[in-house]
Amino acid sequence: MSDAFVSLTDLTLSYGQTVAVPNLNLDIVEGELIALLGPSGCGKTTTMRAIAGLMPPAQGRIVIDGADVTRVPANKRGIGLVFQSYALFPHLSAFENVAFGLRLQKLPQAQIRAKTEAGMATVGLTGFEARKPGEMSGGQQQRLALARSLVMQPKVLLLDEPLSNLDARLRLEMRNELQRVQKETGITMVFVTHDQSEALALADRIVLMKDGKIEQLGTPAELYARPDTAFAADFMGFENIFRVEGDALVSDSGRLPLGYQASAQILAWRPGGVGVGAGPHRGRVIASSFAGGHREYVLDSALGQIKADAPIDVPEVPIGQDVAFDLPQDTARPLAA
Amino acid sequence: MSRLMIWLILGVTLTFLIGPFLIVIFAGMSAGEALAFPPQGLSLKWYAKVFTVESFRASFALSMFLAIFGTLAALLIGIPAAYALNRYDIPGAETIRTIVAAPIIVPGIIVGLALLRYFVVPLNVAITVALFVTHTALVLPYAVRVVSSSLNNLRADMEEAAVILGCTRLQAFTKVVLPNIRGGILAAFILGFVTSFNEVPASLFLSGPGVRTLPIDMLSYMEITFDPSVAALSALLAFMSVAIVFIAERLLGFSRYV
Amino acid sequence: MFLSRSEGLALALPAALFTFLVFLVPVGILLSVAFQTDTGAWSLQGYVDFFAQPLNQKVFFRTLKLGILVAGTAAVIGYLAAFCIVNLPATSRGRIFGLVVLPLMISPVARTYAWIVILGRTGIVNDVIVGLGLSSTPIRLLFTETAVFIGLLQLFLPLMIISLVSAMENIPRDVVPAARVLGASWFQVFFRIILPLTKEGLVIGGTLVFTGALTAYITPAILGGSKVLMLETLLYQKVNVSNDFVSASVIAMILIVMCFSANLALKRIASVKR
Repeated sequence: MSDAFVSLTDLTLSYGQTVAVPNLNLDIVEGELIALLGPSGCGKTTTMRAIAGLMPPAQGRIVIDGADVTRVPANKRGIGLVFQSYALFPHLSAFENVAFGLRLQKLPQAQIRAKTEAGMATVGLTGFEARKPGEMSGGQQQRLALARSLVMQPKVLLLDEPLSNLDARLRLEMRNELQRVQKETGITMVFVTHDQSEALALADRIVLMKDGKIEQLGTPAELYARPDTAFAADFMGFENIFRVEGDALVSDSGRLPLGYQASAQILAWRPGGVGVGAGPHRGRVIASSFAGGHREYVLDSALGQIKADAPIDVPEVPIGQDVAFDLPQDTARPLAA
Repeated sequence: MSRLMIWLILGVTLTFLIGPFLIVIFAGMSAGEALAFPPQGLSLKWYAKVFTVESFRASFALSMFLAIFGTLAALLIGIPAAYALNRYDIPGAETIRTIVAAPIIVPGIIVGLALLRYFVVPLNVAITVALFVTHTALVLPYAVRVVSSSLNNLRADMEEAAVILGCTRLQAFTKVVLPNIRGGILAAFILGFVTSFNEVPASLFLSGPGVRTLPIDMLSYMEITFDPSVAALSALLAFMSVAIVFIAERLLGFSRYV
Repeated sequence: MFLSRSEGLALALPAALFTFLVFLVPVGILLSVAFQTDTGAWSLQGYVDFFAQPLNQKVFFRTLKLGILVAGTAAVIGYLAAFCIVNLPATSRGRIFGLVVLPLMISPVARTYAWIVILGRTGIVNDVIVGLGLSSTPIRLLFTETAVFIGLLQLFLPLMIISLVSAMENIPRDVVPAARVLGASWFQVFFRIILPLTKEGLVIGGTLVFTGALTAYITPAILGGSKVLMLETLLYQKVNVSNDFVSASVIAMILIVMCFSANLALKRIASVKR
């Protein structure tokens, strides 16, 4: 990617002797919303803190908008960061929280007022200026933290698990809000999350990370449909992953002859890709739950547990009974070893 | 801030706080007659001499007596007070609290003088008794505070459960409350012991012929003699305090009560 | 909560009565002495006479000055040390904190005595000064205000550090990095974030150090002697040397008023926030 707006080159980050991120390379395009996705401890937050200047890299370079900022301290980088805990200043009013950075820039009083009010309006907090953060709800605090970063007109806005502290309904609302703000301001955003559905819904591109390394990088559609590794597949909802040996699938529990020639060393199926009620294999139902449009089964088979979603028109199989199932070739995702 | 800066600042601060004390330990090891650092040759003769000075032995015994029994007396009246202030809705609780806490706020020297003039002299009380009473009063606020905080951490419904199961109020206290605040009581005892043992200002005026606490005795010894024995004694006393606190910390996590 | 008020009172009264009788009553009588003339009439003459003497005035202002200086210096060092301590990894944090608390357990006599070894005529500092040829004879370092200041600072600094460490531990996570990212220099981070959020700890520590320095006896006695009197040592002299109980009572009142107002100020400032 030639037109990288943010580029991380050979970035190595460590805490004392422990290397959290070894040799990371990543280019981010201007105006895109990119998600760093991965389980806790995968180095996504560390990477983000390094971009913000809160974590001096052991090695490597960070270039933002053409300027090497590797050694620039956090207060001179012009980057926005919305913390997972929001990190609002408890002793300042909502207004003063938003105005904090502007005041440090020694802008004229009138300009500070105008920008702060506009910023609070953008996130729908007009009227809350005098409140202290402690007197606001979780969603309002989240908006306030967002406004505080946005008024600085940062080159890049970083968000650390921005939705994790909100309840389910607010989370959806804030998702839309973030997308709207991003489209309106055109700001480059990097957000860190461990929730794949959040990354899929929001991001233009997803960087899937594992053990400090990039496991796979692509658009949500690419990652969802074509994960390359078992780790990526598991993260994208392929819950049934098995090794292939000859013409059979193998797991720690046993083996199951496939009946067709496998195209890779590992095959994976989503629960929805497993056929229930017909097929060459048999399994015993050990759990069954109604999930609206489909029924979720857990089957005990020669391979151990198989998760399978059956369409609602397939007659219900009671727990404890055997049922036929199929691991069809056309829904199998071939994975690299 | 870099790691180097952090350790530099802490190093300087700790040197200032603890360094002088290490010097005292070595000054006491001098083989010479005068106090000096570095010491003129090494010997433990001053550490040995401390034990032979008659007045030190007497004042050490008195200080020990005051620290142990003064603190026990303070706990004896302090534990019920702390319990009452924590668990009962008593009239004037705030006043009682203020009265009991007063000895912390009133400077010690004033206490000593006041007791000498208006307690010892008019009522013809023995100095030892006056010292005992003073030390009990000085330790009492700490006893009440530390025991209160460990009572605070103990849920009151445990006693209610004990009573419902058939305990009398007294049994509920001895069988349920006491075992659970044992650590707090021990912590209060240690804090009281150290406070009493190291106390100077209040004991200053409360001294008579042959009756003075060890720190006061050290002060007057220093005025007359300038040899390393006070350094040796200081070091020994410090070791004692530190050892007590260290053992207490290991055994029961002393610091969380204080 | 149990309901029997008489039972509760019976448990609390011994402690309260004891303190009241053997403590507050004698202290109260002592304080009242300065308000009475020889004939028993109420008067403020004792205070007027006390402050009429230049020495007394000097000692009063010196005590106040040293109290403020020691508290102020302790605050500066305390913030640096506390900031370092809270930024240590958990294991070494506990150990270093233990070393800070340790001196509090050691007898103040022993701790102050150390400075004689360091600052005395044959002490380390003079050895160095004479050894380097900066002065041909030892300089008088003991019995100076500086010596008393150093002694008091060493005695009470741990109280400030402890208060500030616990205040800093309560600063919400990520607030400091948030201020950094918004453009604040370390200087601005301190004055706009850390200071306002640790105000309470500063006030508590400041009061402890200030009242501690005002009412310390050992340090001015050993390191100041009769050359650098503070109110406590002056009181001792008034009683033991000149038998002047009216002045002693005045000093007692001054000390108590200063300590109580510092404590009141503490409660004010600390409770305003909540």
